[in-house]
Amino acid sequence: MRRTFATGNFAVAEGAMTAGLRFYAGYPITPSSEIFEYLAEELPKRGGVVVQMEDEIASINAIIGASWAGAKAMTATSGPGFSLMAEAISLAVVTETPVVIVNVMRAGPSTGAPTKTSQSDVFQARWASHGDYIVPVYAPWSVQEAYDLTIKAFNTAELLRTPVILLSDATIAHLWESLTIYDRGEVEVIERKIPKKVSDEPYPPHKPDEDLVPPMPIFGAGFKALVESLLHDEWGHYSPTNSVYHSLVKRLVDKVVKRLSYVYEQETRFCEDAEVLLVSYGSTARTVYLVIKELRKRGVRAGFLRLKTLWPLDEVRIRGCCPNAKKVIVVENNIGKIYMDMSRIFRNQDVFSASVLSLELPTPSEVLEAVEPWL
Amino acid sequence: MFSVGGVVSRSNNKFRVNVIVDRCKECGLCIFICPTKVLVRSSVMNRYGYYPPDPVFIDKCVGCKLCEYVCPDFAIFIEKV
Amino acid sequence: MALAMHVHPLDKHLRVKRLPTIFCSGCGIGVALSAMLRALDKRISEGSVNPNKVLWVSGIGCSGRAVLYLNYDVAHVLHGRAIPFAIGAVLANPELKAIVIGGDGDIAAIGGNHLIHAAKRNFDMVVVMITNFIYAMTGGQVAPTTPYGVYTTTTPAGNPEYPLNVIKLVGALNANYVARASVTTPHLIEQYFYKALAMRGFRFIEVVATCPEMFGRHIGLRDSVEMFGELKKRVVYRHRPSLEEAMMDWEKGIVIGEFVERNNPSFIELLRGVKK
Repeated sequence: MRRTFATGNFAVAEGAMTAGLRFYAGYPITPSSEIFEYLAEELPKRGGVVVQMEDEIASINAIIGASWAGAKAMTATSGPGFSLMAEAISLAVVTETPVVIVNVMRAGPSTGAPTKTSQSDVFQARWASHGDYIVPVYAPWSVQEAYDLTIKAFNTAELLRTPVILLSDATIAHLWESLTIYDRGEVEVIERKIPKKVSDEPYPPHKPDEDLVPPMPIFGAGFKALVESLLHDEWGHYSPTNSVYHSLVKRLVDKVVKRLSYVYEQETRFCEDAEVLLVSYGSTARTVYLVIKELRKRGVRAGFLRLKTLWPLDEVRIRGCCPNAKKVIVVENNIGKIYMDMSRIFRNQDVFSASVLSLELPTPSEVLEAVEPWL
Repeated sequence: MFSVGGVVSRSNNKFRVNVIVDRCKECGLCIFICPTKVLVRSSVMNRYGYYPPDPVFIDKCVGCKLCEYVCPDFAIFIEKV
Repeated sequence: MALAMHVHPLDKHLRVKRLPTIFCSGCGIGVALSAMLRALDKRISEGSVNPNKVLWVSGIGCSGRAVLYLNYDVAHVLHGRAIPFAIGAVLANPELKAIVIGGDGDIAAIGGNHLIHAAKRNFDMVVVMITNFIYAMTGGQVAPTTPYGVYTTTTPAGNPEYPLNVIKLVGALNANYVARASVTTPHLIEQYFYKALAMRGFRFIEVVATCPEMFGRHIGLRDSVEMFGELKKRVVYRHRPSLEEAMMDWEKGIVIGEFVERNNPSFIELLRGVKK
């Protein structure tokens, strides 16, 4: 391992390489371009391929193709590019293709403010594409976590044969902090299951093992894989019947949700005696943590819940994290989105939205101003 | 002529014409394209309701394989005897 | 004589249990596929193509469904996005031989940008665009190649646009091989595809196909044999024609032949630093 001083974007790129990234296809977009640029220099030195495609749609489709050819693949973009990638996300879901998609959030809507921060894409990360599906979404709050959660994103993708979204933002992307970079053997890196070839018959690409995840018959190994975007059965054959529909959609959701204990991560501080719980995630959580320490000094028994996984949510763990809290205040840099989840989850408490819309990292006084009315 | 496993075959001294009966969709292209008019529409319906070709005039077959090449359904092929 | 099961020579390339195909009676896609498989069969027999490394990728539409009958690694992906999917797969595993099949709408309308950039890169892949002048799968809407004035379900007053000549478009880019054939000349489809399989770089073959059910119906040629005959009348073969001669006009004629054939370094070679 080595210690260095780096930005969030650099950390994402390094995390991907530690996890075994071999293929990157992307399109430049502020504030994510540095991930692409750094990988364009480094990844070929490690035997990987980096290519700039003609647009984000080509990029996401290329990484899905590359994953089927056996490579761990990633792309990074921001809000507008992520919107373009939406269709292909459900392609990755239904073909059970492990890929990592990084959305370095910036202020929207539309072209917005490319160099400014935001947390407004948290729902889009979950629901960007059409159809019924659940994809894991991770949100780091520091440079080190950007590195760690990128590795986790790859591991989740390979373990569950699913696309995974990493939600960074313009603040974390360009923030400089110390970073520990691990060598390959020092962290857990998960590889997808690949079947053994036993016959000349086509291998069913969606026949699940007991963990609901099928081994992946990658291209070029004689499996005669059938990658199908239409609704399909275990062999990949188009089958518009209710029984296939129920079983496929249910299994694709269950394989993620049943591994909630692996996928879901949260952090709590000061919760044992807290009467008011402040919930946050990503860059805004950094300010919220400071504010909680300030509130404690003022005698307010405030607790801190930070979501590291934004989807799926472990409602039991969330509800149980702060047993004495009577109020929950959700602080986020958007119009109040995770607030909607929290007001649904905390049924016995008063839940308030402290939305702090700020193009820069919200300052402690901005957060205090948003939180104070609810205290 | 014999029919085995859904394949109707007729041969002359040199060539055998095989029709995989249930793959045919009665497009008529093979009958149209055959230069020596070997094929006629059969009067025996296949599984899906189509009348496949029958190489009745097999003696005229010169093995040009135009029927095999123009068939969109992999339903007819020629073999050397 | 022993009673052997007579098997179609192309059956080993097909997922036989999935036959008969969903294509309409007289559809040109099957003719094109048949010719391509004969060419591939030759390349495999002579040892120049490893069947385990062949990858067929298609988009959405009737032509896209062709790959579902192939006994190889196949991918039936999003509308217009077969080309970038194949690019990703080949870059991740350069041993793969990617063949993209698509209709004129899939490749040249929604997929147009990807077509342009893949040709520009001279990317290592074969793209076969099956042109039937219409969006057939969805019921007969106008396509970029639909002739001027033709009734389609989305241009009921007649198509107000002049068609796109995709051969001229791709020919203007950096592709190594650009050819057009027709289902009325299956030998040429086979010949061009056979040649393309052994070349490097971006190889593009447009196959003009009959579509009796949709395009044929819109222009009064719903009978398979009649449509085939009318297409045959319009197809003109030229030996090594230039791009200026690449006329694609339902009234004046459809020129088939090999328009571009060169041996420039492909994208992967350029990536590795090869200069020629």
